[in-house]
Amino acid sequence: MSGQNIFDKLQNIDRRVFYWVLFITLMVPFIMPIGLPVKVVKNTRDLYEGVTGDNINPGDIAIMNFGYGVSAWSECAPGFTVCAKALLREGARIVFMGAHYDVELSYNKLRSEAAEDFATKQYGVDYVFLGYFAGGESAIAQLATDSWTVYPEDHYRTPVSEIPLMQDFHGWQDVAVVLSSDTGDVGSYFLRQWQGAHGTKLAEIGIAMNGSTDYPYYLAGNYFGLSIGSRGGAELEVLIGEPGEATTAMDSINASHILIVLAVILANVGYLVQRRQA
Amino acid sequence: MSNILKREAVFAVTGIVTVLMFVEYFFFPQDWIVASTIRNWAVIIYNISLGLGGVRLIMQHTMGTQRRRENWQFSVLFLVAFVIMLFTGLAGYLGTGVATSNGIYNWLFNNVYTPLGSTTYAITGFYIFSAAYRAFRARNVDAALMLIAGCFVILSNAPVGEVIWSGIPAIGEWFRFVGQVPGMRVFGVVGGLGTIAYGFRALLGKERGFYAGGAEE
Repeated sequence: MSGQNIFDKLQNIDRRVFYWVLFITLMVPFIMPIGLPVKVVKNTRDLYEGVTGDNINPGDIAIMNFGYGVSAWSECAPGFTVCAKALLREGARIVFMGAHYDVELSYNKLRSEAAEDFATKQYGVDYVFLGYFAGGESAIAQLATDSWTVYPEDHYRTPVSEIPLMQDFHGWQDVAVVLSSDTGDVGSYFLRQWQGAHGTKLAEIGIAMNGSTDYPYYLAGNYFGLSIGSRGGAELEVLIGEPGEATTAMDSINASHILIVLAVILANVGYLVQRRQA
Repeated sequence: MSNILKREAVFAVTGIVTVLMFVEYFFFPQDWIVASTIRNWAVIIYNISLGLGGVRLIMQHTMGTQRRRENWQFSVLFLVAFVIMLFTGLAGYLGTGVATSNGIYNWLFNNVYTPLGSTTYAITGFYIFSAAYRAFRARNVDAALMLIAGCFVILSNAPVGEVIWSGIPAIGEWFRFVGQVPGMRVFGVVGGLGTIAYGFRALLGKERGFYAGGAEE
């Protein structure tokens, strides 16, 4: 061990050192915020413009699908919240539902984050929360043709026949736009059963890892917009002019991303020198 | 009889449902009551399978506890958590129709489940950091190219990338849209064709695994 030079040691750093370095690096921006400007990319701008201005009319029905659980709040919730705020401000009516069993927690979080926007709206008239649905792609296909059979009642057990908003929502032909936020495949179910089959406007607010899967569909026009991970959420917060969780998280994203690149460079310097010495 | 149920009945049901769904897609784009009813059944069966999964989990962990299998303590923990969440949730549901109206259920969800879920997800970041240091080595030209591309994509995803050099976002975007999207399209198309081929093989009875397990013919 004593015979090791610095490059040998670089190759054998204890993994606990990495954990502590990353932990401290992530903490620093919370204590001393950096606040670098966030540039908005085209796919995020397309998403925002698709749910605002001339692209959405008062009274239009939007479906917002919670396809993420609490573990992905940091990536999905900020962007989803901005879209809900934007739709409510445009006077659109929103049908909230979820293919993830954490849907109620995520819905409650969204309600508290956008409390001011919901305060002026009436439940059952301007928005409705249908809760969790099981059945995967079959259920989403059925939602397109006869939504009342998938949801005979809302999350609070009120029959949909007694909910004013639901009188205007029976299937795909009643919906102006679908926004799905996912950690998994639910967005692609909407893509196949709604956008592909009926041409419904569809956008995805997904985790960063799904970005590579979603880009081809965005470029092909299947998704009219795309928000990717916390970065997408921060961009949407910039667009609506209300910095929130994602904007705060950008400092940590900056720090952690730089750290990973530095670590990779450092590891390779050690590796190349060691290889040359050998 | 059991063999008929295992193979011929599954074969017949799969074939009929497939044909009906094809017919609906191409000839009844608005709605077709037959296909709609079948989809309803699918949703109901899916819901039943969730209940079945719960029962199976209880059986599995109860047996594990009784026989003192390895890590049986976790099975006990699971059973206790299952019972608490089930009964507190049911109490809330029977009272108001919403499980989270029960204080204990709600408290456990907000103060145990939520932080644990976030923590589990966040821990992957630490593993990725450690793994990146150990695994991303420029052992050959291919690996070096992947490393360089990866670094650009990582930095282009963070606002700091543009601060370091204004060209980083453009290069990162190039890797994403020009370098990666065609590859993903190929995966998508090949996957789609593979699914069609698998579907036909299953319908023709060539996929034994689809029916009753075992290797294909």
